[in-house]
Amino acid sequence: MYRSTGFLSFLLRRVTGVALVLYLLLHIWVIGGINSGADTFNSRMEFLGKPFFRVLEIGLLAAVVYHGIDGIRLLMVHYLNVTEYRKSLLYAALAVSAILVIAGGLPILLFALEG
Amino acid sequence: MRIFLMQRLTAIALLVFLTLHMVVVHYPPGHIDVSRVLDRLHDPLWKGIDIAFLFVVLVHALTGSYMVITDVERFDVYKRALAGIAVVAGVALFIYGTQTILAF
Repeated sequence: MYRSTGFLSFLLRRVTGVALVLYLLLHIWVIGGINSGADTFNSRMEFLGKPFFRVLEIGLLAAVVYHGIDGIRLLMVHYLNVTEYRKSLLYAALAVSAILVIAGGLPILLFALEG
Repeated sequence: MRIFLMQRLTAIALLVFLTLHMVVVHYPPGHIDVSRVLDRLHDPLWKGIDIAFLFVVLVHALTGSYMVITDVERFDVYKRALAGIAVVAGVALFIYGTQTILAF
C-alpha cells in the first residue's frame, strides 16, 4: 500500500496542503501587521526578507504548484471519467510541476542570491 | 458530502484566484514594492477580488484541515467540535484579513 502511486498522491496532497495552511496563517499575520501601524508591518516584512525565507519561497512555490496541478488531476479523474489513466496523470502532474517549479524557482533563487 | 463539495468548488475558484494573484502580485520576483500594492488596492474592484479570494482560500484551507484531521479514526468522535472550531477560526481570520485589505 505504502508503495502505490495512490498512496504517494494521497501523501503529497496532504503534506503540501498542511504546509500551505501553515503558510496562509503566516501570510495573514505578516500582512495584517498593517492593522498595528507601518512600523509593525515593516518589521514583519523585514523578518521575512531574510535569505532563509527567500529560499524557502521556492518550497512554497513547489507546494502551491504541485497542490494546484494535483487538484486539476483529481478533478479530471472524477469528472472526465478517466480513472484508468490516473497513474499516468499523476506522473504527468509531477513532471509539469517540476518544470514549473524550476522555471519559477530559478528567478526566486537568483533574486535571493542577489541579496 | 457537503464538505467535499465545498472543497471542490473552492478548489476550482482558487485555480482562477491564485493564478491571478501570482501573476499580478508575485512575478517577476523582486518587483513588489509597497507603492505598487497601494496603487492596486486603491481600486475598489481589487479590494473586492482580494476579499473574495480570502473567503475562498479560508473555506478551502479549513475544510481541508478538517478532512485531514477527521481522517484519523481517533478524532472521529470530535467531528462536531472540530467543525465548530473551524467555523470560529474561519470567521475570525476572515474579519482580520478583511480589515487588513480595507486598511490599504
